[in-house]
Amino acid sequence: MLSQLGDDAKLLAGGQSLIPLMKLRFANPAHLIDLNFIAGTSYIHNANSALRFGPLTRHAEIENSDIPARIPILYDCAAGIADVQVRNRGTIGGSLAEADPSGDWAVVLSTLATQVRCLGKNGERTVHLKDFIQDAYTTALAHDELVSEVVVDIPAKGSGGAYLAFKRAAPVYPTASAAVQLTMDGNVCKDAAIALGCVGLTAIKAKDAEAALRGRPISERTLSAVAEAARAAADPQSDMRGSADYKRTLVGALVRRAITIAVRRARGEHVEVSHLYA
Amino acid sequence: MSSSNGKDAKNWVGQALPRKEENRLLRGRGRFSDDIKLREMLYLRFVRSPYAHAKIVGVDTSTAEKLSGVACALTGAEIVSQTQPFIEIGPDPFARIKDYPLAAAKVRYQGEPVAAVVAESAALADDAAELVQVEYEALDPVIDAEEALENQSLLHDEAGTNLVWNGVFEYGDVAKAFKEAAHVVTIDRMHFHRFSSTPLENNVVIARWDPKDERIYYQCNNSFPSFAIQFLAAHLQVHIDRIRVETSDIGGSFGIKITSYPQMAVCALASKKAGGRPVKWVETRSEHLTSSAHGNERIFRETRVALDKNGVITAITSRHIDDCGAYPRYEPLGCVIWSQVFPGVYRFKNARIDFSQAVTNKCPVGPNRGYSRMQHLWFLERIVDVCAHKLGIAPDEMRLRNYVRPEEFPYTTPNGCIYDSGNYPRMLQLAKQKIGWDDWKKKQATARKEGRLIGIGIGTTLDSGTNNFGQSQIVNPGLPYSGNSQGANCKLDIYGEVVVAVGSCPQGQGHETTAAQVVADVLNIHPDMVTVRTGFDTERNVHTGFSGTYASQFAVSGLSAVHGAAQKLKAEMKRLGAFVLETKEADVEFGTGAQGPELIAKSSGKSINYWGLANIVNANSASLPEELYELTLNCRYIWRAPFKVPDKQKKYGNLTMTYASQLHIAVIEVERDTFIPRILDYAAIDDCGTVINPPIVEGQVYGATAHGIGAALMENCVYDAVGNMLTSTFSDYTPITAMNMPHVKYGHISTPSPHSYSGAKGMGEGGAAPVHTISAALQDALFDEGVFIDDSFNNADSLFRALVGKEISQMEKLVKVEKR
Ligand SMILES: Cc1cc2nc3c(=O)[nH]c(=O)nc-3n(C[C@H](O)[C@H](O)[C@H](O)COP(=O)(O)OP(=O)(O)OC[C@H]3O[C@@H](n4cnc5c(N)ncnc54)[C@H](O)[C@@H]3O)c2cc1C
Repeated sequence: MLSQLGDDAKLLAGGQSLIPLMKLRFANPAHLIDLNFIAGTSYIHNANSALRFGPLTRHAEIENSDIPARIPILYDCAAGIADVQVRNRGTIGGSLAEADPSGDWAVVLSTLATQVRCLGKNGERTVHLKDFIQDAYTTALAHDELVSEVVVDIPAKGSGGAYLAFKRAAPVYPTASAAVQLTMDGNVCKDAAIALGCVGLTAIKAKDAEAALRGRPISERTLSAVAEAARAAADPQSDMRGSADYKRTLVGALVRRAITIAVRRARGEHVEVSHLYA
Repeated sequence: MSSSNGKDAKNWVGQALPRKEENRLLRGRGRFSDDIKLREMLYLRFVRSPYAHAKIVGVDTSTAEKLSGVACALTGAEIVSQTQPFIEIGPDPFARIKDYPLAAAKVRYQGEPVAAVVAESAALADDAAELVQVEYEALDPVIDAEEALENQSLLHDEAGTNLVWNGVFEYGDVAKAFKEAAHVVTIDRMHFHRFSSTPLENNVVIARWDPKDERIYYQCNNSFPSFAIQFLAAHLQVHIDRIRVETSDIGGSFGIKITSYPQMAVCALASKKAGGRPVKWVETRSEHLTSSAHGNERIFRETRVALDKNGVITAITSRHIDDCGAYPRYEPLGCVIWSQVFPGVYRFKNARIDFSQAVTNKCPVGPNRGYSRMQHLWFLERIVDVCAHKLGIAPDEMRLRNYVRPEEFPYTTPNGCIYDSGNYPRMLQLAKQKIGWDDWKKKQATARKEGRLIGIGIGTTLDSGTNNFGQSQIVNPGLPYSGNSQGANCKLDIYGEVVVAVGSCPQGQGHETTAAQVVADVLNIHPDMVTVRTGFDTERNVHTGFSGTYASQFAVSGLSAVHGAAQKLKAEMKRLGAFVLETKEADVEFGTGAQGPELIAKSSGKSINYWGLANIVNANSASLPEELYELTLNCRYIWRAPFKVPDKQKKYGNLTMTYASQLHIAVIEVERDTFIPRILDYAAIDDCGTVINPPIVEGQVYGATAHGIGAALMENCVYDAVGNMLTSTFSDYTPITAMNMPHVKYGHISTPSPHSYSGAKGMGEGGAAPVHTISAALQDALFDEGVFIDDSFNNADSLFRALVGKEISQMEKLVKVEKR
């Protein structure tokens, strides 16, 4: 249908990005193709040490599944998106396809091994998340392709993660956010993935911050160095959510806090967190 | 319910009676203006200016009008040719400006309507609005009020100035007080920010200009209809009696819906042009945020405070500049309304405030909850608070030394206002007890040692209610307004039902319940037996020029009117009862019997129920002796406030009837790493005199507290340097939600007002107590860091800029202390 209807057609998933844009008349598609009528597109499968999400799996379904036991960071993300109404409709597929610079899923999923399956006329292909999101609102999807599945590898034992955002109110995008997934060996961090949200045009993988953590014991010194590297990696804009300087400072603080929680979770502790609100 | 004869009389006033309107509203059975659909209804959409300040070169509606389904379009030029500009409340030269509901020659704020299109559906109207071509020529925008006063770029050429109003309020002997002062504290600049109370329901207007009877029928949610019709009649040049306004349930107003009369005008003119078909306009949230009304923004310059050696404030001088946005509309009333609380809760006698108001290229202001007084009360609270810190006096002690004392009530302020009653020290004591003051002080000291930034702040504020409209003559001596009044009607209907109508239009204040409580007490019946008609309707004939719901006054003006009408009805019933029961009036008792509410003759035990009484007057009048013909059992009563016109020259006189007070304490931590201000504990104490219905009062306190916390930490109307409104959606404006609310420890005391019949005081606005309190708590947390809380709005970002960037709010630069 997409290839038939051409550029004027848009897919409708949860509608939580598209409908607000249409309401403000920033988007004016001539045709809406409602994916909600396609059966079997909303699921969470656990097989071959990976979780597979249907494209129309709602944030709320992920929040209410038994995922936190295995990958707590996914719960942090799903349960922290906006409010109940948005979570009941918004989908993981729609969120990645929209590639909103402030979207939560891209940040969190880039700290895990994530692949996006794209379905088009000529069949299905698999794209790594880091190649899937190319720029703000820009993905690797061809016009006649859709996201058909999101595949996330379950992290190994001894790995723990956390996602923290600061939001000025529940139903708004974060001012900044930090996702951290660590593998620990005693007090030493064996491996680390750190991603920063809302401080660039896409989620930022903070490579220097990861390097500052990898192979180091978790100490005040390490944390300061990691936070500093995270601040340096951020490239925020001043806007209503905060000034660029503030966002940079904030993202460093969020990384530190997220690491502390991730470490405890990596040790098998059950830690509940919530985003920070004004 | 008491069943027999009134011997076990019960006082309904003061009971926690569940709200009568709850059932309807909580079950989604309310009827709001947007629920109303009329035959042949058309939908209106405004075309709005993207510019803050620009000349309109041309407006072309022809393409839009050609769109199928479009009934008509209206432009500013067309409206100018058909109407008179709106009345200006202020004096010359600003009275010369031409305020029309659609801009004709010039736009003066982003979002100002320049045209309107009317179509068969709301979506079609949206489409058509996009087809209207408007050509603009940009002008220099003026965003800052102080800059506006330089008159570099004029908003209204007819006025020749951006200064709307100026007046000096001087009392006592300021020079002497400064000469004798032990300390003089100088504060260069403080700023009270712009915010709005964002009612859940936006503005809605349905207008029908009926060509058959040449009358205009409104169904809308304006919250001060008797004011709106006065503006509309003069603007549309019709008899005021030709305008009928009905309101139904209203989803919040907080004063913001008082100034919807320009949109009401456009809808009526559009209906006229569309041949009398009803025209509906439902405001979008972004329209509401950019172009309905905002609260007043105010700048305080060159403040000087004289104190004696004990930290008692003896004099204050300051220059205030109020920013009313692009059109004065309800202004410049705000230029005097703040002086209802001239000294706040404090005893100082000498002061000089030079008060100006300026227009800027921003959304016009409206009387937002706490209107004009909260800005001034915040200013006073900041003074008291910063002086305490600077002089090393504990903030609670500082307040006790400066509060008006309990034994001084009724207290006459330096400008002649009479504070009816109050007990601020007792409120402070109760608030300290609720929050665990001593405990927090210890925790604060420990936390400080760990480098944590914890502050404890007190805010004391007033909610002055039931205005003396005579104060309008202080801003414009020519105005024909003074006093205050409200109307009510209480009747026994033909079958004996007790029905009350009031000229108010509640938005959640529970008028149906409290009015029923009052009538139930007068007639000694259960409140369920009283039907209350609320919602404004010109046709009910119970309104006066001041009717509506605004300015914390229903408990006094509304219920006094209801009480008066019920008393009148009772007297008639008694007279009639004495005749029917063949006894003296003194022998007649009111109660409820087997046949419902009734009148009984004590001596004989004979009784007649309400149906019997009503029937004699309404349907069985041949049995009525002539001397009782004047009885109608349909009693209209107009309550009038006992005010005099204030002295316009001296700006002296009593401006309000009651002064409810609020005292809040907050404990706040500013997180060292994220700079997020976190409320750790919160207490709110309220004194509104006699409480008519405790849960309703408590609800108002929570609501006002939420609004205040939102204003202090989250909600700010931000404009950029060229007048783009940057907070035009809820994602940017972030109104407070339950997620952001602390647990509020609520308490109250009651000092009955000697000025109202029941001892009650108006209390809906809450005096913005949280804004003062949060500023004080932040000040306490950050005083040692060299930060002066100079703005009423503070969030993580601004605190970061003050603490780390040292860009703003620096104590060293802004506040000076001179020891004599
Ligand atoms: C008030 C509010 C607050 C919000 N706050 C947050 C927040 O804090 N964090 C956050 O992450 N998100 C937030 N969101 C967005 C929400 O998470 C959305 O659900 C999400 O961004 C988009 O998902 P959707 O299913 O609603 O997509 P839709 O709006 O239906 O679609 C979005 C775009 O993706 C395309 N699309 C959808 N599905 C597919 C697919 N399977 N394949 C290809 N293209 C597709 C559509 O054509 C459209 O262009 C918020 C939304 C609202 C309304």
